[in-house]
Amino acid sequence: MPTRRDFLKTSSLLALAPSVPAFLAKTARAAAPATDGRVLVVIQLGGGNDGINTVVPCADEGYARARRELRLARETLLKISDSVGWHPAMQGAARLFDSGRLAIVQGVGYPNPSRSHEVSMAVWQTARFDAEEHKSFGWIGRALDAGPRRAAAAPGAMLIGNESPPVALRGRRSAASALSNLDDFMLNDPLPPVGLATESEPADIAAFIRRSALDARTTAERLNELAHRVRTDGQYPPTELARRLSLAARLVKAGFETPIYYVIQPGYDTHAVQLPAHANLLRELSGGLLAFLDDLAISGLAERVAVLVFSEFGRRVEENGSLGTDHGTAAPVFLAGAGVKAGLIGAAPSLVDLVDGDLKMSIDFRRVYASVLEQWLGIPSADILGEKFEPLAAFKK
Amino acid sequence: MTTPSRFWRVWQPTVDSPWNLRRVVHLRRRAGFAATRREIDRDLNDGPQAAVNRVLAGSARLDGVHDDFEQISKVIGDAAVASENPHRLKAWWLFRMLAGPDPLAERLALLWHNHFATSNLKVESAAAMARQNEIFRAHGRGLYGDLLRRVVHDPSLLLFLDAPANRKEHPNENLARELMELFTLGVGNFGETDVKEAARALTGWTVAPNGQFREAADRHDDGEKTILGRKGAWRGDDLVELLLAQSATAQRLAKRLCEMFLGEEFDFKSSAGRTALDELAGGLRARDLDMGWAVETILRSELFFSDANLGRRIAGPVEFVVGAARALELCDPPPSTVVLAEWAARLGQDLFYPPSVFGWPGGRSWISPRSMIGRANFAAALVAGELGGAGAALDALALLERHGRARNLDEAVLFSCELLLGGPPTESIRAQSAALRESSKRSPGDAARTIVRLVLASPEAQLM
Repeated sequence: MPTRRDFLKTSSLLALAPSVPAFLAKTARAAAPATDGRVLVVIQLGGGNDGINTVVPCADEGYARARRELRLARETLLKISDSVGWHPAMQGAARLFDSGRLAIVQGVGYPNPSRSHEVSMAVWQTARFDAEEHKSFGWIGRALDAGPRRAAAAPGAMLIGNESPPVALRGRRSAASALSNLDDFMLNDPLPPVGLATESEPADIAAFIRRSALDARTTAERLNELAHRVRTDGQYPPTELARRLSLAARLVKAGFETPIYYVIQPGYDTHAVQLPAHANLLRELSGGLLAFLDDLAISGLAERVAVLVFSEFGRRVEENGSLGTDHGTAAPVFLAGAGVKAGLIGAAPSLVDLVDGDLKMSIDFRRVYASVLEQWLGIPSADILGEKFEPLAAFKK
Repeated sequence: MTTPSRFWRVWQPTVDSPWNLRRVVHLRRRAGFAATRREIDRDLNDGPQAAVNRVLAGSARLDGVHDDFEQISKVIGDAAVASENPHRLKAWWLFRMLAGPDPLAERLALLWHNHFATSNLKVESAAAMARQNEIFRAHGRGLYGDLLRRVVHDPSLLLFLDAPANRKEHPNENLARELMELFTLGVGNFGETDVKEAARALTGWTVAPNGQFREAADRHDDGEKTILGRKGAWRGDDLVELLLAQSATAQRLAKRLCEMFLGEEFDFKSSAGRTALDELAGGLRARDLDMGWAVETILRSELFFSDANLGRRIAGPVEFVVGAARALELCDPPPSTVVLAEWAARLGQDLFYPPSVFGWPGGRSWISPRSMIGRANFAAALVAGELGGAGAALDALALLERHGRARNLDEAVLFSCELLLGGPPTESIRAQSAALRESSKRSPGDAARTIVRLVLASPEAQLM
């Protein structure tokens, strides 16, 4: 178990990396524990995805009743089973499902659901209900803190996009980074490095910044070095989500050690004129996801990467009068990748047996997290989630 | 507050807590966008009351303010709107922050932009965004009710939150929810039924074809509603008044203002924090939510000038880039505000495009490896003259000479730290400049530039 002193030694070597001979720098990185190589990509659908029109319960009599303008004709759906079908724009997802690379976890939610974007997203990101905890540490941040000590060079989690790293990625020691494109990691004409970060109380804001400055520098050097080893990209559709996933793929293919990537696809808050907007979003999601997993498969990395797709809530069963839907509760979560046990998990919520016009949840989202943490990342989940949740049978042994 | 507590009473300098460079720089950064050396010296000389008076009166700036500023601003703003180019609109606002006489007004406009976060991604109209921005500027320091009423009747917000789609046959809850959760009460102070009923009250609010607010009576649900326990045939304006009258609104407002001037690290949950907040909220309630009063109270207070409040707030991207340009006296030629806007966006704050209706989270979320590298790259770009304008490298030596601090490297380091950090050089800055001294021969001009760059890129320069 590396000690604090070892950590500082590693930091100092890496900070001076430009002037340290190559073999010494390599040794320093080798001294840090290696990851087992598994990667988790989280795709956050921002705004509350209408799960009912994504994994459509076409055989449920409640569907036609509640969705008059927004109803998707059964013959246009891509078949999943006798009772559910994909939105026609989900072709990529259908391919993944049919080729054994995608699991649909149905009716995912949590007790006493909030219909506030901020609160519900904070619940999903922190796996906590107490508002005081919604700004501290996230489930992924806690997972990274609990996992093996990371090499100072590679951040534990990276948000690909323009947004600030979400609270899901915040941990006590682990610093998350965010990346829009590789340009942002080129240090133009570096100055002599800043003084070493010392292990001090994270509440000290100056120490936090000093530590972040050091993280930044070592990250830049690592990325720069690896960017040159990147092979050509696979075939990605020309959408923003696909671009972000392709960047994540490039980093994984180049051997970047970050185990968690987080991508946000906003726009799902379809209160008005839902059909065209939702179709575009799902097409973007589905196409990007397929291209990403195929790209990794070509590079022989299919077994190493799993994708989790979620949204902060689903939408109401009954459509509103603006050809849209308002905030709801339960919705499907997707797990994708070669290591995933494909199929339907859990029961589809009934569109007739409701709670105040909303779907009843079948599966607590923390069970999904428990599956990902324990079965995919090999990290015990009880402390991270605040209690023990039984994992689902979502991953292959 | 009849007798302000130890938190809010007017701060008086003492031996242990003196009026010094640290506090001058602190005031000018938190209540403006940094000060030039001359302005710092003047404030230092005249004492805290005069310094705060000037900040409140919009007369704190000695340097870089055009005589016919409002005229120039109007030309730039009108051109930006006419061209429907959001980049030019961002540049216009940055021009106002950089070269206007009243940075406090611009600061508050930025606060309201964050509070009523409306993104042009959905609004898609530079004209509408400019109009909303003007409301923030003109009414950002008066009574909150006046500001709120204008903002919720303004097309940008109405369009952003789907007000026109909210009709009596089928309500759309978006505006109602954000009005209660973000603009007034805050989460936890209302229920889902209140949102639904509030949506009913707001039915009929729409934007007419001529771009003006319109209340469509035929779309309005004029039935009885129960909102926060109050029954009545409430209309939208009634709802707004009802929300303004709730004590939770004063609390939320107090918190917002404290976050801006006391930093996001301020512990509102501690017993002291809660007391201070309650007191300020109480004062606001007694004064019809007079934000000008609250801002003045905060800026003169013990809390504001306490040691615990110095250097504890992370400078946001806009604060950082504008503050750097101002403090270093980049007036002649000034940097391109279009380029400054791009830098602010690169560092995580894209004006007129907040990431969601919740605005920019701020605080530590400004800091990531990418933004730290970005800030270092910005410092490099600034001294190299790559911020547009005439493209000449920063004449740091001339800056030092102008203020009589160009004799040697140590003086240059001290001056730069005083200007950009409000204090003496840190150990790591001393170490870095020592490394400079040892390295290859540089011209004095180059050395001065490198020192400025080094200080601006330092971790300490990211705090204010």
